[in-house]
Formats: sequence, C-alpha cells, structure tokens
Amino acid sequence: MSFSLFGERLKTDVTNWEVGPYHLSLPGPIRLSLKLDGEVIISGEVETGFLHRGLEKCFELHSWKSAIPYADRLDPEAAVFGELVYCLAVEEAANTLVPPRAQAIRIILSELTRISCHLANAVRIARAVGAETVLHYLLRDREKIIDLFELLTGARFSLNFLRIGGVRADVTEGFIERVLDVCDLIRVRLKEYNDLFTFNHAFLKRTINVGVLSPALIKKYGMTGPNARASGINADVRKDRPYSGYEILDFEVPLGRGEGGTLGDAHERFLIRLREVSQSIEILKQVTEGLPLGEYLTPTEDKAVPEGEAYVRVESSRGLLGCHLMSLGGTAPHRVQFRAPSGFHLQAVPELITGLKLEDLSVVLASLDLSISEADR
Amino acid sequence: MSGQGPAWAILLQKVFGLQGNYPNGLLAFVALFFIYLFLIVPGAWIISYVDRKLGADFQARVGPNRAGPSGFFQPLADFLKLMQKDSQEKITTSDLLWIIVFSSALYSSVAVIPLGSSFLMVDTDLSAFIPFLSALVLALGTMLLGFSRPTVPGWFGAIKVAGQAFSGAFPALISLLTAGIRSGGFRWSHLANSQGASPMDWAAFSNPFQFLALIVFMISGLVMMCLPPMEGVVLPINMNGGVTAHLYGRRWAIFRLGRFYASFLWSLVASVLFLGGWQLPEQVNDLLSDSLILKQSLESILLLSKTFIMMLIVIWVSRVNPRTRVDQVTDFAWKVLSPFALLALVGSAIWAGWGLLI
Repeated sequence: MSFSLFGERLKTDVTNWEVGPYHLSLPGPIRLSLKLDGEVIISGEVETGFLHRGLEKCFELHSWKSAIPYADRLDPEAAVFGELVYCLAVEEAANTLVPPRAQAIRIILSELTRISCHLANAVRIARAVGAETVLHYLLRDREKIIDLFELLTGARFSLNFLRIGGVRADVTEGFIERVLDVCDLIRVRLKEYNDLFTFNHAFLKRTINVGVLSPALIKKYGMTGPNARASGINADVRKDRPYSGYEILDFEVPLGRGEGGTLGDAHERFLIRLREVSQSIEILKQVTEGLPLGEYLTPTEDKAVPEGEAYVRVESSRGLLGCHLMSLGGTAPHRVQFRAPSGFHLQAVPELITGLKLEDLSVVLASLDLSISEADR
Repeated sequence: MSGQGPAWAILLQKVFGLQGNYPNGLLAFVALFFIYLFLIVPGAWIISYVDRKLGADFQARVGPNRAGPSGFFQPLADFLKLMQKDSQEKITTSDLLWIIVFSSALYSSVAVIPLGSSFLMVDTDLSAFIPFLSALVLALGTMLLGFSRPTVPGWFGAIKVAGQAFSGAFPALISLLTAGIRSGGFRWSHLANSQGASPMDWAAFSNPFQFLALIVFMISGLVMMCLPPMEGVVLPINMNGGVTAHLYGRRWAIFRLGRFYASFLWSLVASVLFLGGWQLPEQVNDLLSDSLILKQSLESILLLSKTFIMMLIVIWVSRVNPRTRVDQVTDFAWKVLSPFALLALVGSAIWAGWGLLI
C-alpha cells in the first residue's frame, strides 16, 4: 500500500464482482462480471439471455393476425412500437393500405407511448441517484397516459390495439379532448421536473461527464434513438424514413449540444428525453387537431400474405426498431426477426463502463434506457 | 434525602415522590430507563410518523393511513412486525460485534444528553465531546456491519462508511470548538447559560461565524453518521450498498432505531450548542422559580421542539434531493465544510478576543 497526497493514487487490489442477474440497480435480468481496481471498473462483461422467451419463434406458430399480441410482449413498457412495426411489416408484405385516420391514431398511440417511456426512464434515473420525490411526480403523470390507453383500448399495458390494415376501434368519445388535456398538463409538469430535478446541483454532479458516449462509440455499436441523438448524431426514423404520416408533421429532433458537460454524457441523455417529450406533445397537438375522418380499418380477412420479404423500421422510444418478415405465402409468418435497439445499446455497456466509478454504474445503466425484454426476446 | 445531591437526582425524587436515601446509581438507572422509554422511543415513533406523512405529502401520496387514526400507529405496527422476523442465518461473531458496537455506542450516550437545567446527568468539562465520540463509534458500528458481510459490496460499503465518517468528523469537531470558544467551556450548563431565550441571544445569531459553525456542524454530522441526505453510501440501490442490503427483521429494526437516535442526538446537541438550548425567558423563569418540575418540563419541551424542528428541516431537504456519490460527499466535507469550519473557528476566536479587549 502506498499513499501520497500529491498526485499518486491509493494502491488497491483487483477484485472480481458478479452483479445480477437480479439486482435493484440493473435495468432487468442481466449479469455483469466486473473487474474492479478499488472502486474503479477496469473491465466488465455483460451476459444476457435470462429473459429469452423464444418470442420470434412464437410468431411462426400463429396466424398473421393472432401474432399481434406477441408483438406487445417485445417490450411490454412500449407495447405499441412492437405492434406497429409488426403491422407495418405485414402491410408492406401484403400491400395493404392503411386509412389516414388509422395512421393518425397510430401516431397518437406512438407518441403517448414515447412520453410514457421517457417518463419511466426519468423515474429509473431518479431512483438510481436516490431522488425519491420527483420519482412519484413522474409516475403520477405517467399514470395519466396509461389512463388514456385504457380509455382508448381497454388495456393499460399490452394494448393489442393495432390491426393489419388499421386499428381495432375508432377513438372513443372524449379521448381527443383528454389527450389535449394531458398534453397541457405534461407541458406544465416539464417545467416542474426541471425546477426540481434537472438543474438540481446534486443531480448535475451525479450525471454530468458520467458515462460519455462518443459519436465514434455510437457508430461502432450501431446505437440509435435518444442515446445516439444525445451524442449529437442526427438520426431519427420519423424524419429519415417517415412512416404512418410523420412526413406531414412539423416537429424537431432534439440533439445533444454538450451544454452541461460533455456531449453524450448521462445528463445529456436525460435532457434529450425530456426535450423529446415536449416534441411529442407538439406532434400530438398537430395530429389531434387534424385527425382525418373516415375508416379506421381496411378490412382484411386472415388470409395468406403473398410470398416475399419485408423490412420496416420505426422510431421507438429507445431507438430504431426494425422488423424483418418473411412469408412463404401461408397463413402464418415464415420468419419474423426484430432489430431491437436495446440489444445494440447493451453491447456498448462493457466499453462504456470501463473506467467508471462503481457507484455511477447504476446511473449510467439507467441513462441508457435499456429494455432487457426486447434485447433478449 | 430530598434536597441534596445533584439536581437531576432531586428532580427525579420529586417526580416520583420518593422519600429517604436512595443511592445515585439506582436513580441514574431509573433516569436512563425513563429517558429511553418516555423520550427516545416515543420520539422515534413521532418523527418516523411525521417523516412518512410529510414525505407522502411532498410526493403526492397518501402515506400511512391504516393503523390507527390517520395511520398514527403505523410505526408501532412496523416495529412489531420487524420484531417478529429474523434472519435464518445464525448470528456470527462479526454480527454480534456490529450489533454491540452500534447499539452500545449510542445508548450509552443517553446518560450524557442534556434535557434541561436540572436534568444534566453528566455535566463535565468534556460533556459536549461525548456525543461526538458516540457518533464516531456509530460509524464504526456501521463499518463493522459492512465487514460482517462476506461480499465485495459489503466490504466496499464498510470502507466507504469509514472514509465518510472521518471526512465529516474533522469539520464537526472544529465547529464544536467554535461553540466552545463563545461560551468559554464545554459543560452543557456553560453552553446553555451563555445564551438567552430570545433568538437574538442564541449563539447561532450572535455573530456570523457562529451561524456558519451551526450550518457546518449540522451537515458534517449527517456526513459523519451517513444520515439522509448524505446516506448514499448505505442505500441499497447503490451498487456498493452492501452495508444494509441484506438487513431485515430485528437487525433492520436495530439499525433503523440507531439511525434515528443518531439524528436525534445530533440535532439535540446542535440545539444546545447554537440555538439557545433550553433557555426560557427571564419572566417565565421567575414565575416558575418555585416549581422545579414544571420549569424542567417546560425546558425539556422547548429543547425537544427545537430538536424536532431541526430534524424536520433535515428530513425535508433529504426527501427532495438526490444523493451524491460518496467521494463527492467526502470531497465536500474536506474541501468545503472543513475550510468553512476553520474560518468559523478563527473568526469566532477573533470576535471573542475583540469583545474581551473592548
């Protein structure tokens, strides 16, 4: 042991520590094998697969239509995106047109889900830094959105609402007004969160310059979504390859500017998500004001989809969610594959956490907004 | 032998209507039992209830509302529940060690705490330092708790608890000295009598350096004993929160009670050092000069009210703020609290010296 006040570090030994698969500060069932020098992580390995359910195989065992509830389970917290990407893929393979009203309802659901997911992520970050008050405010407001899901679909989480060629039902009475009310409420609340949390000195100290994702690292691991945009990478499927009518909407894609500390640190990722919430509110306002009239579902019987392949992508709350679908012309998919953003984000974890202090690990993992469910599927 | 012996013994004999010659040791035993049963336990109950209700209010929740009127008996219900549960693991020597160190360090200081002008069981030149030493031993107990776990996070937590305790101890000690400089001694009676009933006569508001010392004293106490909002190091959410992650049942109850007592003790000492202690206004003192029991009761109520207000302020701050990392806490203690503590010490010394010269 050597210790000096000037410059030298306390000499410490290397320790191995395995965290998980179940631990309060992990985003889900994963195992981290850490090698620690003192309290600094010198290397870490991630082991996943604890939540593997053979989800993609399940699609092959069901008809095109009855596979939709399985898409809900891709990422139960953001169920709509799984449904949407699967339905879009089937529609592309079968050349089915979706009525404009159904597209608008899909966008409403997508953006509500995005807000709910981003709020849930803020809850996880708050929990990771031990801020217990703001967490309850966030959950209370997220509840309002889940109430909206219930009003529209009857379900709060696994919605099973999208259909091939549209949506299951038209908007319920009073739904649009309630959406607008919630939008107004969340806009007010955003300021509250910022006052209470975003610019709190202790919170800034825990998140600024912590877990920095450089643009090179983002490209190396194929990271997308808010995590990539927080590092200044301008990529959003809603803008790059618009789907479901996003092309006619006027909204911005917030990008990280490195204003707090370093570009792409945990605080930037947190901020980007809050800014995306306010953009989602803009989108919701535009869509609800101009909700087209007409049909909400193109009637399709549960018939065969012509032989062929389709690949579509949507912007889920965590990043680029892709669905590759193969049909042999039967009544069930031959193969369905998902490109889940969290899988890619997980791969960056070992490199990202190297050199990190042990206590920051939970904050960095929370800031990545990982869904182990969609990564393991 | 009513009318002889130390003031607290006379008071106790009066309270219980005792006639005759009782040894002070026996009376002290009764007094400790009395303080523990009628002060510490109800105090923990009330503060825990208020903490949970206030916390619920801050967080847009209802809070405890089932056990008794407005959930008032919830802390009792929780305590009884915890008492029924215990770990399946056998108590090892290292478990025993932390339990003994943790509880004995704290509860032995019950005899030292000041509760009013007539209830000062230990009023020596070193009185004010004893709670400080108890706080250090509490940190030692928490550290031993971490070391009792055969896990990496347990050991990490233990070392961090120790590091944090040392970083908080220095500014705490210096601010304690600052209070002594003003009063001219570290006897409880000295410290309290150098202040008055009016806030303007409290040490904290007598000069800016004393106020600074109060702030430093409160924060460094929280740092030293890893109390909220400086308890990041023992939080289970932390990757290294192995110090408490495994605790439940009776051991958890011991740990929680100890932590309550620590914050109670520290706030009480801060109130005596800086916030006028138990000093009642002169007129009230004159009025009550005949009734020792009534005077002592009012003094205790005043002192405990100040203590609870201090505790509530700390609860408020800790409920709404995130937790900082342990190295940030120790950095803060060494680089911010310590210089301010030294500034307060030097400033107070100059202030006192100036007063003497003029």
